[in-house]
Amino acid sequence: MIDLKRVSKVFEGKRKATALENVDLQIPKGEVVSIVGPSGSGKSTLLNLIGGLDRPTAGEILIDNESLGELSDDELTRVRRDKIGFIFQFFNLLPTLNCLENVSLPLHLRKWPRRKIEDRAKELLNLVQLSHRLDHLPEELSGGERQRVAIARALSVYPPILLADEPTGNLDTRTGEEILRLIQDLHSKLGSTILIVTHDMGVAEQCARTVRLRDGRVVEDRSLSHRERVPEGRERAFKPSPGAARRALPKGEG
Amino acid sequence: MLLRLLSWPYLKKHILRWVLTVAGIVLGVAVFVAMHTANRSVHNAFDKTVQRIAGSTQLQVYAGEFGFEEFVLERVQNVPEVAVAVPVIEATVETGIPGQGTILILGIDMTGDRSLRDYELDSAEDSIIEDPLVFLAQPDSLLVTKEFAERNGFAVNTKIPLLTIKGEKQFTIRGIMSSKGMTQAFGGNLAIMDIYAVQQVLGRGPRFDRIDLKAKDGVSLADCRAAVQQALGPGFEVEPPSSRGQHFDALMGAYSTATSLTSLFALIVGMFIIYNSFSIAVTQRRSEIGILRALGATQTQIRRLFLMESAAAGMVGSALGVLAGVGMAFALSVYMGTLTEQVVGVAQRVDELALEPWLILAAVSIGVGTSVVAAWIPARSAARVNPIQALQKGKYQMLSAGESRRRRIAAFVLIAFSGVCLFFSTWKPAFYAGYVSVIMAGLLMTPTLSLVLAKALRPILRRAFPAEGTLAADSLIQSPRRTSATVAALMLSLAIVVGFGGFSDSIFDSLNEWIATALNPDFFVGPTANLTNRSTTFPAEVGKEIEAVDGVDMVQLVRDARVIYKGTPVLLVSVENEKLLAKVRRKPLAGDPEQIREMTSSGRGLIVSDGFSALQHVTVGDLVEIPTPSGMLKLTVAGVIRDYSDVQGAIFIDRSVYIKHWNDTTVNVARVYLKPGFDSEEVRKRITAKLEPNYRLLVFTNAQVRDYVLQLTDQWFSMTYNQIVVAVLVAVLGIVNTLTVSITDRRRELGVMQAVGGLRSQIRRTVWLEAISIGIIGLVLGMALGAVNLYYNLGMIKRDLGGLDLDYIYPVGFMTAMIPIILAAAFIAAVGPAESAVRGSLVESLEYE
Repeated sequence: MIDLKRVSKVFEGKRKATALENVDLQIPKGEVVSIVGPSGSGKSTLLNLIGGLDRPTAGEILIDNESLGELSDDELTRVRRDKIGFIFQFFNLLPTLNCLENVSLPLHLRKWPRRKIEDRAKELLNLVQLSHRLDHLPEELSGGERQRVAIARALSVYPPILLADEPTGNLDTRTGEEILRLIQDLHSKLGSTILIVTHDMGVAEQCARTVRLRDGRVVEDRSLSHRERVPEGRERAFKPSPGAARRALPKGEG
Repeated sequence: MLLRLLSWPYLKKHILRWVLTVAGIVLGVAVFVAMHTANRSVHNAFDKTVQRIAGSTQLQVYAGEFGFEEFVLERVQNVPEVAVAVPVIEATVETGIPGQGTILILGIDMTGDRSLRDYELDSAEDSIIEDPLVFLAQPDSLLVTKEFAERNGFAVNTKIPLLTIKGEKQFTIRGIMSSKGMTQAFGGNLAIMDIYAVQQVLGRGPRFDRIDLKAKDGVSLADCRAAVQQALGPGFEVEPPSSRGQHFDALMGAYSTATSLTSLFALIVGMFIIYNSFSIAVTQRRSEIGILRALGATQTQIRRLFLMESAAAGMVGSALGVLAGVGMAFALSVYMGTLTEQVVGVAQRVDELALEPWLILAAVSIGVGTSVVAAWIPARSAARVNPIQALQKGKYQMLSAGESRRRRIAAFVLIAFSGVCLFFSTWKPAFYAGYVSVIMAGLLMTPTLSLVLAKALRPILRRAFPAEGTLAADSLIQSPRRTSATVAALMLSLAIVVGFGGFSDSIFDSLNEWIATALNPDFFVGPTANLTNRSTTFPAEVGKEIEAVDGVDMVQLVRDARVIYKGTPVLLVSVENEKLLAKVRRKPLAGDPEQIREMTSSGRGLIVSDGFSALQHVTVGDLVEIPTPSGMLKLTVAGVIRDYSDVQGAIFIDRSVYIKHWNDTTVNVARVYLKPGFDSEEVRKRITAKLEPNYRLLVFTNAQVRDYVLQLTDQWFSMTYNQIVVAVLVAVLGIVNTLTVSITDRRRELGVMQAVGGLRSQIRRTVWLEAISIGIIGLVLGMALGAVNLYYNLGMIKRDLGGLDLDYIYPVGFMTAMIPIILAAAFIAAVGPAESAVRGSLVESLEYE
């Protein structure tokens, strides 16, 4: 599904800064991967490259066997809007749009019929348990609620890939756990491939696979079977669930 | 120190914004410098022509443009205090030389004139220099300037054609004057002729335009003047040559006021652009200000920082503005000079710019002053920034409810005040106070009204473009302050355009009506193509000749020219009253039609135009005193009519009264009416054929005169089109500025839009829609404020500029044409910012705060 071949990213400035160096990474469909590492290790850069928000300096990124490097900016945008959903640390909701409008935005950009957009947006907000907040503006919501709206927006077309950059980084512990449970719930229902960038080991431990970066290189790539320890009495959040993929998919587009 | 440390890096980072800010000042200062310099240049060109031609003349005897009989010269010469007195005729004549247009002919009496003027001949027939009588003996003699001769490759004895009343005649250059003094008058297009030859050329009869004189040694100018005045009576003006400049200024008054208003307007518009830039800079640098305040900077230091930045921008903008203004001034002054010659028929030619040092100083002071004043409020807001709030992340730019309420209250108070002023609008200060108040109220209400309109636009935009339209409208709703200064500038520009456009529509409407009712002859017969040039006349007998042509029903003879009424040159029109009233049926604005006929035909009364009535404050029953060569002519105003013959208004008297008091039977224009059933082109040919052997007279059809009048008026209103150019420039500058900031402010938002699947075309569309929305809001508010502005403009015109009482006609067609212009300007302004919105790094946009 996601295939990175010797991907490097160098930022040209007064001084050259290598954010990623020769990264090879394969992420199969439906897998949940956490990307961890200290600040400046290249985690967010990796996520941005996979999400098509940025382009690598060298190497190749394939999404469903389609090389992103050969695509124009608008083709890249089309890949992003059809296959990828983003969840940001600072939510990035548009402050002037209410919850329904924020969730509707990607669908409007895809020029869906109005009626269908409203149905889908309501369905998604129901999925993230915010059906009672449709008309509220972001500033009227708590941090957790804002992140739920952002998740609903990321899921607007039920993209096969969900990229989350520090999704709990701006939330308190309890709310962070709630959001994580929501993502876990969505994964079990939708079976999306999920990449979570985090520096919170608690979050990383919930994932089936953890990729550790340091100085732009992959220094560790551990799968569930290699995991040494899972806190007692605590269920792993994300399990491999290829079969679950579209079982619980709500009505509408997939 | 702070300026170098903080302002310089900000300037470098936001160079485009600074360019736009400075452009606002450049625009204001350039228009100010150009308009003022052009005005002064035209004035100076006239003055220079007068002074150069005057030579050592100390006083000039003048009795309006009609001139006076030759015997007056003898009377002046007999005044003991006068040393020298010589006659002069001064007129512009078409040259018939391709590309040379008109030439100023100075008719003088060579025998006495050289004691007043030095002709310094460069080359000439020797006999001319030695004996002026040789010059006199040859009536085809001309002296021309070196410039004129060189420009056309003429030498002594070259023959040149001049279009005289008797047809095209060849004149011989007998001498070429060196490039000194007098020769620079009228841009060098000057020729000296014997005065008696000029009388023939211009069809004047035995009359002079004026007498130039010098007092005897030891006699004071005041004594000499009093003695001459005593000898001639009150119908003559005895003034130094310089006073002609005042007459010129009086003629140009309305135009000068219009140009001053344009430059004032440009400065105000520039002020809004600066205000906008600084307001935005303050909001964007809020965290920087917060840090400075946290580090111990005082409010005064912060305020001073912004004021110094604005002063620096003002300095740079003013310097560039002066340069741009000077660049524009020459073209503008040549244009204004030509317009003046055509419209008011006053000879001058602009050949150099009158750039005064004080003007440069004033322009720089105004530029810097305007800049600092415009930045004052943003600087004060900057100083008041709360350091704690400033350092918190989050949205800014929101217009506080309290501030908005204060503005609204102030606006309502001003509207109420202007309403009260309306009741006392006959009192000048109340009228203008009301005008200023209502405009100020409009400006204060701009943020609130912009917000209301942006909210009204939201559902429409959303319906048309759900994502892009909503975001565009929200951007405006979110930041009314960012938008309102641009909207205010646009609104003000358009309001002024409505004012000018409405004035122009009203005057064209009234002109058409006037042409249809008053200018209704089938033909107009005149000596020159320029119908406002009244220096060439023809004998009254021509009228009889035309009347004898088969198909002609009636010929009305007209002699018109300017006389000095209370220091102002006004047009005096003598008409054959009974004949005129038989053909022209106009309802007078004041006075009983029967009484008007009786009083004017009997020579006891006169008619005045509405303009004259308003400017000179005279109405039916008042006594008007007109200076004539045979004394003061006192007539009662019998009626007031609507008339657009001249910007300073006109007086109408019966031709018999004119002949009696001026002892002049010559004619400027013959109005010709045809008998029904005759082919007008046929009759025209017959008239031309009849006149051709003896006179060079032009026969204009009614349609030609109508077009001529309308074209002239159109040229006079060319200022309106300058206003449109400025309005469009404002729209572009302001919108570019606002959008540039909007895109910076919304970088993250636009990044999110792209991240969740927005194509570049969709991002561009958002920016375009925002720009077009600003254009729409500006248009709506501008048209509304324009309706009010037009009301006051018409009042101002009636009261102080031309005295015309015009109907209120909202320029619907004009403003309909402005809609696509402004929207197109808005779109063009958005192209650059829209491109920059899609070009940046998406990752940086998402991290932008």
